[in-house]
Amino acid sequence: MDVAKNPLDKGKSKEELLAERQQRINDALQLEKPDRVPLFMPAGYLLAEYGGVTHAEQHHNFDTAQELLEAFALDFEPDSVLGLFNNPGPSLVLGDRMTRWPGKQLPENGSFQFDEHEFMKAEDYDDFLADPSDWAIRTYLPRAFEKLEGFKILPPFIMWSFGHYHLGNLPMYAAPPVRESLEALGEAIQVALQDAANMGESTERMAELGFPPTFLAGALIEAPFDFMSDTLRGMRGIMLDIMRRPEKLLAAEEKALKYELEFAISFCQATGLKRAFIPLHRGSDGFMSLKQFERFYWPQLKEMMVTLVEHDIMPICFYEGVWDQRLEYLADLPKGKTAGWFQRSDIFKVKDVVGDTMCIIGGMRNSLLTNGTVEKVRARTKELCERVGEGGGFIMSTGVGEMEGSDLELVRAWADATREFGTY
Amino acid sequence: MSDQLIKYIANMQEEEALALTKEMLESGVAPMEILDDCRAAMDIVGNRFENQEYFIPELILAGEILKSITAVVRPHIEGEEEVGEAIPVVVGTVAGDIHDIGKDVVVFMLDINGFEVHDLGVDVPPQVFVDKISETEASVVALSGFLTLSFDAMKETVEAIEAAGLREGVKIMVGGGAVDEGVSDYAAADAYGEDAMAAVSLAKKWTGGNGRG
Repeated sequence: MDVAKNPLDKGKSKEELLAERQQRINDALQLEKPDRVPLFMPAGYLLAEYGGVTHAEQHHNFDTAQELLEAFALDFEPDSVLGLFNNPGPSLVLGDRMTRWPGKQLPENGSFQFDEHEFMKAEDYDDFLADPSDWAIRTYLPRAFEKLEGFKILPPFIMWSFGHYHLGNLPMYAAPPVRESLEALGEAIQVALQDAANMGESTERMAELGFPPTFLAGALIEAPFDFMSDTLRGMRGIMLDIMRRPEKLLAAEEKALKYELEFAISFCQATGLKRAFIPLHRGSDGFMSLKQFERFYWPQLKEMMVTLVEHDIMPICFYEGVWDQRLEYLADLPKGKTAGWFQRSDIFKVKDVVGDTMCIIGGMRNSLLTNGTVEKVRARTKELCERVGEGGGFIMSTGVGEMEGSDLELVRAWADATREFGTY
Repeated sequence: MSDQLIKYIANMQEEEALALTKEMLESGVAPMEILDDCRAAMDIVGNRFENQEYFIPELILAGEILKSITAVVRPHIEGEEEVGEAIPVVVGTVAGDIHDIGKDVVVFMLDINGFEVHDLGVDVPPQVFVDKISETEASVVALSGFLTLSFDAMKETVEAIEAAGLREGVKIMVGGGAVDEGVSDYAAADAYGEDAMAAVSLAKKWTGGNGRG
């Protein structure tokens, strides 16, 4: 029996398909011309819709989610496919106050969302800058995680850790609120371990079916500005910092950059993964002026990317929103060493400006797969293959990393058209 | 009218603006006059935002300055403020979606353009939009959404407005995150707005002129 149904891949073995798909993606990422345009489907909750289960079920039942991922991959035959980005496990165990999950804070069919807060106040900058880790343990964790509130009664971390004279302070860790928080932390670690094991199993099972591991696998880090914005200051707080305390914000970003690089480099060394996925949030057109971007966002992000490249790690950025006014900055990056997934930028302009610099991921509008027609989807796919795919360095994908609500007939038309028009 | 106060606010000189406000109150300037200066300054801020000289940091700081000045001035106001008749607009992020950034910028821009903005917040069920439209007799509705799930929520909201018999009386715009022209068609709205300026021009176009009736 044939593994693949589409005419181009009919008759190939799983091993051949795996090798070809892997090669196709790698070629595109290296800015080379593969045999055809690789197709990436970040299916997300579309898998639940495909299998008739709830979003909550997809999040909480690994076996069901994995079976749906396999069935979907075999049905639509993309070169790379992804289920859900986020696992609720550790967040729910720790009671984090920054995420909302289907079946918990949301209805069974709700969609995962971030709920931004100003967990770090403006007046916390000095403590953060003096010692970010101690501030994190005793101030941030109790604010951001319900189950880690016990840590707020701890003495400064250095007051037991620097040896013999201070070991008498250890009983503080036996105080009931601290003990409960430590137990919750232990439980979260177990849950995260299980998630990691599931991810490993999923990767193996997909490989057995001829699908390569996701090319986004690697260290997950943030632009230093977003690091301070997303889970610490929140959008409102960080925008006021630009105006009211620019020097402190810059100093904090410097700390974030140092720790993130240290983490990403050692993570990649330890795992052998050679990529870093960096979802970008507040640097797009509209949030800040180019002048502010040049001071608070780009230099730190660029230094991060250039340093990663020097360590043989490929940064893959998700350029959320529109970046049309700042594509020229991206053109400065080392050629063929980074990749960009563009959500809503003018994808043809992206090709013109950074086509020689980085592999471009994206192009298909999510709304077209929701309520377009087969003709419109085919026409858009053809245009993308011909113009953005020209010369290689293009991975076809939706702009948003989530395909919930897509019409399956249109998804099929998209996959078929990518193979039809994307062959070089 | 204090050109100096207007200038301080419009140029983001927070401390100077607040100090001058206090001076003005002490020297007997009418509180309403100070609030008029704030309004004039906000017009300038809005213009600079439209011209892309100002962005979100300045909009948020302007809001903060306005809040501090109002807090100082308000206790000095006797009786009710005189407010002109403004055209009501209903704005909200649709059900299931809790994103507020884009929606807040639209609210700010509609507000300084003289519309009477009814901000329903985020994760707003269709019925809440319907009730607010009936209550305020708004003729313009703006639906915001960031996630792809908002496509269906927008469609359901428009359907609920239709089912309530209010569709003929309102023009509906959609915008935000993953939303584009295709979503406006899908949801059977009247238009898609790319940004907050587009929202203002749509609202003005639909109501014939500026925010004041």
